[in-house]
Amino acid sequence: MSQFEYVGKSVLRRDGVDKTTGRGLFTTDMFLPGMLFAKVLRSPHPHARIVSIDTSEAEKLPGVKAVMSHKNGPKNLFNASVPMFLTIPQLERVLDQYLFDDVVRYVGDEVAAVAATSEAIAAKALELIKVEYEILPAVFDPLEAMKPEAPELHAGKGCTPEGKNIPGEIVKIPYHDVEKGLAESDVIIEETYKLPVQKQVQMETQAAVAQVDGNGDVTVWSTSQTPHPSRAILGKIFNIAASKIRVLAPPYVGGGFGVRIGLSAKAEPIAMGLALLAKKPVKLVYTRKEDFIASDTRHPGYITIKLGAKKDGTFQALDMKSVLGTGAYCSFGAELPGVCGAMTLAIYRIPHQRYHGHSVYTNTTSCGAMRGFGNPQGNYAMEQTVDLMAEKLGIDPLELRRKNIMKAGEPWCLPYACGTTELAECMRQGAESIGWDRRGTFNKPGSTTLRGLGMAVGTHVSNAWPFCVDYDNAYVTIQPDGSAHVASGVPDIGTGTSTSLVQIAAETLGLDMEHISLTYGDTLGTPFDIGSHASRTCYAAGTAIKAAAEDARRQVLEYAAGFFNIAPEHLQIHKGVITPVTSSMDECSGSGLCQLEEVKEGKGNTVTLEELSYHAHVRNKQFIGVGRIVPPNAPPWHACFADVEVDTRTGQVRVIKLAAAHDVGRAINPMIVEGQIEGGAAQGIGYALSEEITYNDKGRQQQYSMHNYMLPTAEDMPEIHSIIVESSDPTGPFGAKGAGECSLVCPASAIANAVANATGHRFKEIPMTPERVFKALNS
Amino acid sequence: MTNQTISFSLNGEIVEIAVSPSEMLLDILREKMHLTGTKRGCGKGECGACTIIFNGKAMNACLIPAMRAKGADIQTIEGVESAHGLHPLQQSFIETGAVQCGFCTPGMIMSAKALLDKNKSPSKDQIREAVSGNICRCTGYVKIEEAVEDAAVRLRASAVKGGDL
Repeated sequence: MSQFEYVGKSVLRRDGVDKTTGRGLFTTDMFLPGMLFAKVLRSPHPHARIVSIDTSEAEKLPGVKAVMSHKNGPKNLFNASVPMFLTIPQLERVLDQYLFDDVVRYVGDEVAAVAATSEAIAAKALELIKVEYEILPAVFDPLEAMKPEAPELHAGKGCTPEGKNIPGEIVKIPYHDVEKGLAESDVIIEETYKLPVQKQVQMETQAAVAQVDGNGDVTVWSTSQTPHPSRAILGKIFNIAASKIRVLAPPYVGGGFGVRIGLSAKAEPIAMGLALLAKKPVKLVYTRKEDFIASDTRHPGYITIKLGAKKDGTFQALDMKSVLGTGAYCSFGAELPGVCGAMTLAIYRIPHQRYHGHSVYTNTTSCGAMRGFGNPQGNYAMEQTVDLMAEKLGIDPLELRRKNIMKAGEPWCLPYACGTTELAECMRQGAESIGWDRRGTFNKPGSTTLRGLGMAVGTHVSNAWPFCVDYDNAYVTIQPDGSAHVASGVPDIGTGTSTSLVQIAAETLGLDMEHISLTYGDTLGTPFDIGSHASRTCYAAGTAIKAAAEDARRQVLEYAAGFFNIAPEHLQIHKGVITPVTSSMDECSGSGLCQLEEVKEGKGNTVTLEELSYHAHVRNKQFIGVGRIVPPNAPPWHACFADVEVDTRTGQVRVIKLAAAHDVGRAINPMIVEGQIEGGAAQGIGYALSEEITYNDKGRQQQYSMHNYMLPTAEDMPEIHSIIVESSDPTGPFGAKGAGECSLVCPASAIANAVANATGHRFKEIPMTPERVFKALNS
Repeated sequence: MTNQTISFSLNGEIVEIAVSPSEMLLDILREKMHLTGTKRGCGKGECGACTIIFNGKAMNACLIPAMRAKGADIQTIEGVESAHGLHPLQQSFIETGAVQCGFCTPGMIMSAKALLDKNKSPSKDQIREAVSGNICRCTGYVKIEEAVEDAAVRLRASAVKGGDL
């Protein structure tokens, strides 16, 4: 029997009926009276100066109500992602973009926007805008962009002794003496890996609807993962008080995976700018192509790992270096290299470590947050190198990892403790599921189909601290009828937090979930929260809601105590009924429940929260709990095992099975956690085998639709065994840790290790497309 | 060609609407009739979010010229729930955890319904094939397949009982 009533149960999602019946409203579904439709003119060049722009013909087109370009747009420098608002005081923010600039820096960069009475008229108006460009030299590869001869993307920004075009500070993580560690190592392996551009491809494209009222107050319906920070950035772009802006989801958001953090692709400010000009509501929905080329991608780049070990397999030293492309604008380019390094260094107990990493501007689509946030890149490099080390030492890769993985309570490079880890148990269960003892027994000489097993392990964060500003607030208000209202600033981007957060509130209050409503994803009526990202929503917003619910509960019990004539801590609330902790449900005559006055007279000892709240209400009192917390952080853990088959005649890699074992602390809702594991596995399979955006020599994205960007479909999916290995983390609500991102950290690493086990070829570049695999096996 | 008023059966009711030659059925459903349950994920027939059942077949509404709807029998997600309650597919999607962000869900359910309308005992491969044109980025398809299998079981059980679904 679970010790909890709601936590740990696969409670059905509260958005299930809305989403299966078509009733659920998304930003792209919004329709307002008098609404205009916007379209954006985008640069065809990867780097150019706008010599002149003439929008007069477009403005004359009947139906056109507003046109915006660098000539009439706001002139406040910003960063479209949340570092604009959440950079910690020790670091300097990188502000490097305008809503519209007179320089364009990638194919797809915004040049102008039009609002008209129909999308067709807006599209026609774009054709009438005349732009004269002066083409500037462009650079697409981060290593090339660092060279002295490379063009400078942002004048005066990023010229460092280490190279050109480096935004933000170079991240350096020293941990003891890496040179000493390498000197003490018997075996050293050094390899460099090349990682691709991956795209989130959330199902709902970036979109916004903006409305300005007669007082200049602005409402923006947005697909944002971060309504409060997004509101703050909008305020800075337009120099309007944030309190005059409301950002909300309507309430559903068609997936996020990082791309909705801040104002990536700028749909919100463009819609808002046009709405301010036209004095009418403006809807801007990006096409799938625009979403592909103009919203943040995962960072590509180069990662070098130098790993030293003793002959017995004990790791001695890890020296890691990353150079990541951040595209035309910095976005998260200053923060992400830190997570890439820190999460890779944290996997193993290695006495001497060093990390050096940064990103580099290139004339490509901006790179920002995508599920895993730098960690899948680092993990790929590290976990390939660990397998190389295992081969070199003649030790089974599972055994070598077992020997070196981080243990709870041991020192590491992170500024918070490794409080809990069930990674060893994850490895045991994952190995058993995949049949690890069969490894190396599959292939017969001369066979054209080669099978192999591989594994990888990793960790992630449960929260964004200490990488950015990070605090949460929540309100819990007990209504006069005994129901409760919870307000939290996080949106639900599809991960089920509007259900799991209510489970946390219900458990804390002792109230049925049906009696709890939640306001979320709306800056009006919710207190500040940094948003749904960094695997933090359940962990951090959950901690704030738990604190607010505890506060409300304390007030309720203090009020009740006077009637029960015992101390509040000797009272409990269970399913909306207040009783002394020591007693079972006692009977009053009749209903079994008493009036408060009867309790006071000693005629019974059970009273409903409804009775108590109403009793308080008619005496001018309400119970309002406030949670204000600075959440800590904790590591979730993942062991991923892959069983693959490689057709040497075609280069096709088929994943037969993936076993993904996760320590997510306590799973607040196991069914939702499984969904996170399975979805992350699918994205990891895509990262390993097929997903990649490449650029041609003109700087054009060669993949910009689901037709040529190869996402896994139902028919591509192997058997996925999701395994939850529970621990109870002392820092999280009811022991929970982050669950959203870890699932995408290890699959590609495990699949590549399995491919190497099958074929003997190690891929230092992914995705392992049939072309790449065929070439590698036949050269 | 000029605008034309056409009529067709939509979720069991005859509707009349003026359409232009350049419009697609998805535009009509979403922008004119405000049936926004059918989603637009790409507008090019690549993602399946706008799947409807058109004369018994699952099709992408973004690829059907609106004029072709004349006289057709069209079902959208809004017509799947009946007066008796949720359709077994809707129940199964909720109960197996097949819904995450929910943007692919209507199209996914329509593809699955077109399959189950004809075949109440589909194999795993037939289920996968039926939804292979529907991209989901959240679930890895695991629970979606489970949901369709589960709904097929419910439909078979209901058919045995002579239930009306």
